[in-house]
Amino acid sequence: MPDRYGRPPRGVRPTPDRDSKDWWDRLAGHEFTVQRCDTCHTDRFPARAFCPACRTERWHWEAVSPEGTVESWIVNRRPFMPGSTEPYVVVLVRLAAVPGCLIHGGWDGDLEPEYGQAVQGVYADMGDDLALLNWRPAE
Amino acid sequence: MAKRLLEFRDRTAVVGVGYTPFTKDSGVSTLTLACRAIMAALDDAGLGPGDVEGLATHRVGDSAAPSLVGPALGMADPTWYLDQFGGGSVSHAVVAQAALAVAAGVAETVVCYRAINARSEFRMGGTGRRLPVSPEVQYQAPYGYFAPPQQYAMYANAHMQKYGTKAEHFGRLAVTQRANAVKNPRALMRTPITLDDYLASRWIAEPFRLLDCCLETDGACALVVTTAERARSLRRPPVLISGAAWGGGDSHLSGGRADPTTTAAAALAPRLYAQAGLGPADIDVAELYDCFTYSVIVQLEDYGFCAKGEGGPYVASGATALDGALPVNTHGGFLSEGYVHGINHIAEAVSQLRGDAGDRQVAGAEVALSTAQPGYILPATSALLLRKG
Ligand SMILES: [Zn+2]
Repeated sequence: MPDRYGRPPRGVRPTPDRDSKDWWDRLAGHEFTVQRCDTCHTDRFPARAFCPACRTERWHWEAVSPEGTVESWIVNRRPFMPGSTEPYVVVLVRLAAVPGCLIHGGWDGDLEPEYGQAVQGVYADMGDDLALLNWRPAE
Repeated sequence: MAKRLLEFRDRTAVVGVGYTPFTKDSGVSTLTLACRAIMAALDDAGLGPGDVEGLATHRVGDSAAPSLVGPALGMADPTWYLDQFGGGSVSHAVVAQAALAVAAGVAETVVCYRAINARSEFRMGGTGRRLPVSPEVQYQAPYGYFAPPQQYAMYANAHMQKYGTKAEHFGRLAVTQRANAVKNPRALMRTPITLDDYLASRWIAEPFRLLDCCLETDGACALVVTTAERARSLRRPPVLISGAAWGGGDSHLSGGRADPTTTAAAALAPRLYAQAGLGPADIDVAELYDCFTYSVIVQLEDYGFCAKGEGGPYVASGATALDGALPVNTHGGFLSEGYVHGINHIAEAVSQLRGDAGDRQVAGAEVALSTAQPGYILPATSALLLRKG
């Protein structure tokens, strides 16, 4: 493993769709949300109209703590997009609040991630109207 | 099991195979590549364009459509065509759907093809490529993550962490497939490699090195599908389509398939085997989608050739070599022959069952499994079971 990590490419902004725009707006305000089904209360991520558990459409955003465990990670050693400095880490996190849901993010730790490691989300502001969610070892 | 799928067993056959050379720069359009591979496949079958009633392909915005290819070969009025959107996960579905059309009598003879300039024009591995259009990309690309080698490296590491799969297992797979490619005149990479060569190859995205990744290739391949009845009167030994299956479901980002070390193939495999009346022990040759080394290891497990988590040691045991219990990717696979997005696996399976695979022929091969991208990235996969006619 390298002594220190670089950074993913700057300036690759997400392109929200009509289901997810509110999610990104809330993340920009440092609120991490999932969709909670109003009928059967199943949580889901990422954003989409129907609850796959009960096939109904009524739901609301539910703020949850961005916590989880490391499911996997990679160390990027070549540029996949312009503007990155290698090596940089992308981590796959199993969300504590939503059983069965995985989320990708940047890595904010000094050491290599570990399988099953408890992690917490860190908001990374990318301007006034956008934040990304990176992950670091839980305290 | 849908009853009609059992009736479909052995009703259709692959009767012709055609290729263009595999290169890093074809110098011609994908339309030209498609026409050349189709003409070669028809010639192999002893047929001409006038015998073709249907055309089928899949694309990701990177190749010539059937509506262009048909007229270019003087097929003025195809009675059936399929222009499937999708990548490697639907490669086998295209042939399956052609076989369904033939079995239903919609078209007696169909040509399936895939033509790509995946090195010189549209680099599948991500270099210089526009972001794919998929809702899930928004949650990945801002972190510098979107290319297939990154995605597969992520799944591979999950498998390494959970089951103890090692770099040496991936390496043994790459070395074994290269040894097969050495015996394949079509293969792009015909210089033998060692485990040390593998371990010394440069990092792409840890845990993947260069030699974990398939070859971005310019080339085309085509297959002629017709009824089993007609196949008996044609000049090549027929290869029967005994089973064809589609699989899908949730992606790893939607909560429905929360274990990234298992693929959609695990759900598809029992349906495929039941449809063909065959099981893993009946398979003599397996051509398993190898966009990356790891995808073979997870499929060896999900198609039931070894226990879950044992794919790495299974490869290291030598079982997948040409002289092993289950020869895998006998042509060298996408890692060493070339990458035509799936169809060249089916073509190699046909060669093995005909017995015309030359120095890499598996003696007495009667049943072959050929598989598509196993359902990572987008939740879809497909596979064929083929049998010597
Ligand atoms: Zn619900």
